[in-house]
Amino acid sequence: MSNAIDQTRRMLSLVTYLRERPGARVGEVARAFGVTEQELVADLNVLPMCGTSFRGGDLLDIDTDGERIWWHNADDVAQPLRLAADEATALLVAARAVAALPGLRERDRQALTRAVAKIEFAAGESAQGSARVGVTFEAEGHVFADVDRALSERRRLWLRYYSYGRGGMTEREVDPIRLVTEGHTYLEAWCRVSEGRRMFRLDRVADIRVLDTPADPPPLEVRDLSDGLVHPDADDPEVVLEVGPAGRWVTEYYTHDEAVELPDGGLRITLRTPEPAGLRRLALRLGRDGRIAAPADLAAQARAAALEALAAYGADGSVQGTAGS
Amino acid sequence: MAIAKAERLMNLALCLMNTRRPLSKRELRDSIEAYREASASGSEDAFNRMFERDKDDLRELGLVIDIDESALDGEAGYVARRDRNRLPEIALDAEEAAALSLAARVWQQARLAGAASGALQKLRAAGVPFEEAADREHTALEPRILAREAAFEPLLAAARDRRPVAFDYRKAGAVDPEQRTVEPWALECWHGHWYVAGWDRDRKDVRVFRLSRITGRVRARAGRFTAEVPDHVDVRETVARFAGEGATAAARIRLRRGAAFPLRAKALSVEPVDADWDELEVPHGHGLGAWLAEFGADVVVLGPDDLRADVVDRLRAVAGLAPAGPAAGTADAPAAGTADAPAPGTARGASAPETAPQGAQR
Repeated sequence: MSNAIDQTRRMLSLVTYLRERPGARVGEVARAFGVTEQELVADLNVLPMCGTSFRGGDLLDIDTDGERIWWHNADDVAQPLRLAADEATALLVAARAVAALPGLRERDRQALTRAVAKIEFAAGESAQGSARVGVTFEAEGHVFADVDRALSERRRLWLRYYSYGRGGMTEREVDPIRLVTEGHTYLEAWCRVSEGRRMFRLDRVADIRVLDTPADPPPLEVRDLSDGLVHPDADDPEVVLEVGPAGRWVTEYYTHDEAVELPDGGLRITLRTPEPAGLRRLALRLGRDGRIAAPADLAAQARAAALEALAAYGADGSVQGTAGS
Repeated sequence: MAIAKAERLMNLALCLMNTRRPLSKRELRDSIEAYREASASGSEDAFNRMFERDKDDLRELGLVIDIDESALDGEAGYVARRDRNRLPEIALDAEEAAALSLAARVWQQARLAGAASGALQKLRAAGVPFEEAADREHTALEPRILAREAAFEPLLAAARDRRPVAFDYRKAGAVDPEQRTVEPWALECWHGHWYVAGWDRDRKDVRVFRLSRITGRVRARAGRFTAEVPDHVDVRETVARFAGEGATAAARIRLRRGAAFPLRAKALSVEPVDADWDELEVPHGHGLGAWLAEFGADVVVLGPDDLRADVVDRLRAVAGLAPAGPAAGTADAPAAGTADAPAPGTARGASAPETAPQGAQR
């Protein structure tokens, strides 16, 4: 059940909606308002207690037989209401962000842009606050457009993809499932090589081709993304990192199981990953700001990788004459 | 049993919208059962507090409630005038409606998700044809705006109402948080992270803060803004700059062929050196040293010298070696800077609100 504010908001619109639609069907109204039939019936149980005067008995005479809804004394109290500042902000900020997404179909972009202008006008001064909130979605326009086409034509994709975990390029064929944008844009797809569902970040796609082969993913349930896009498996190897205050950002970029405060203002971070080699690279990036505490062999790999990289430089930090050649 | 809040709010709204003359608080109390119960069982005070809260809640929902201070023989009267509360005529075609209903699903944050669906409900009630568009083919896209940071909601409200706030903020690399008093101007989400720009009263300057670094509660401060709010606040540019974008300088590196695609994708120029190596020019923005170190032996930094020293220093730290010579470790040391970034035009080398966007895993 939603909270009292959302319920009040919904009931205010509901009376306007019902006034125009005598005998409206419960199922259709619930769908239109994005609630379950139970939630709608709960609203319909409250409305007959509402009106302009408790004593005068001037209450809304709304009732339902469980299938249709009737309002016997509908009057003009139910006018369409102006948008609140938060409502206009929520709608306009999201619409502007989507409209600016690189690779979006031109037709969708134009429809959104027209809608934004109309909402701005209808919202009047309520729209002013929306200029104070901005959201940028990143996407690689040409990759996005190809994925979008493959999705709508239900075709397989060939990718040359940079795997962050392995640090190298991979080639694979995938059956696209959907595009998800959360800051960056990701392709969720069924990977024919690993036979699993994978997320591909569009800015790591080096090359893409829409194949003639029809996409043929196995039947899949839509994955709930509310806990994050990446879910490590329970049996992925565990890694412990210890970072100083300047390495705290790691918790915001890596899905982790635990982050314990350390006395120096740092954190001990426990996470699981199918590709521990990616964390070796994280260790190199962190430098003095963090280290791999466990497992020991991964820490040793990071040390070895640093020594190998240092071989290109002289003791004074200069580049050796033949370095890299 | 106490009457549910939604029922009480609905009754107050209907009373205020349905009256042609302002109603006194007493009249409203007598008309609305929940208020009569509250007055009977509690004190006059309890009713007054409830009434004030309810009015605020209805205003949050968009209702314009006028107060006529002396409408009724010196008693204040309340009314929600129809002309001020009516949604103007709005005509969206099916395509526009479909595009808008996609946008309305974007918010994953409870309050704005509620506000967005509330807006759609109002538009739908006003006759906008949302459902008819279901069969139209459009981008199979799920844009999502998250705002898990607890500071998001209070800062959003404070920026909207132009109220100053105070919060504890941990700068990048700082051991302890520090209290800041800020007049919040604008919020921006970039690469999935939220930032707020505003006037820092203690620093007497414009600052950008990353919401995830706010520790504890955002506290309201009495009074109004003291600094003038600029017409345009570009948080995005500031944040992007500290994430290493928009760099004007360049660095020269050698890169093993086939390695480090993200770095190669940003290259300004690529020249082959031999069978295995290329020489690249890459934008030298903030945080480049950390990024280059990540690629280990696949990258050799040719210049500038301070960038190379920074990379060598990072590698030596991981190798368990002491810092090399006096030249090392001086370049681009983010831990030494302030975490909050001055706004564009006032930059003077302070360090980033974030230090790790490039190539970070998500």
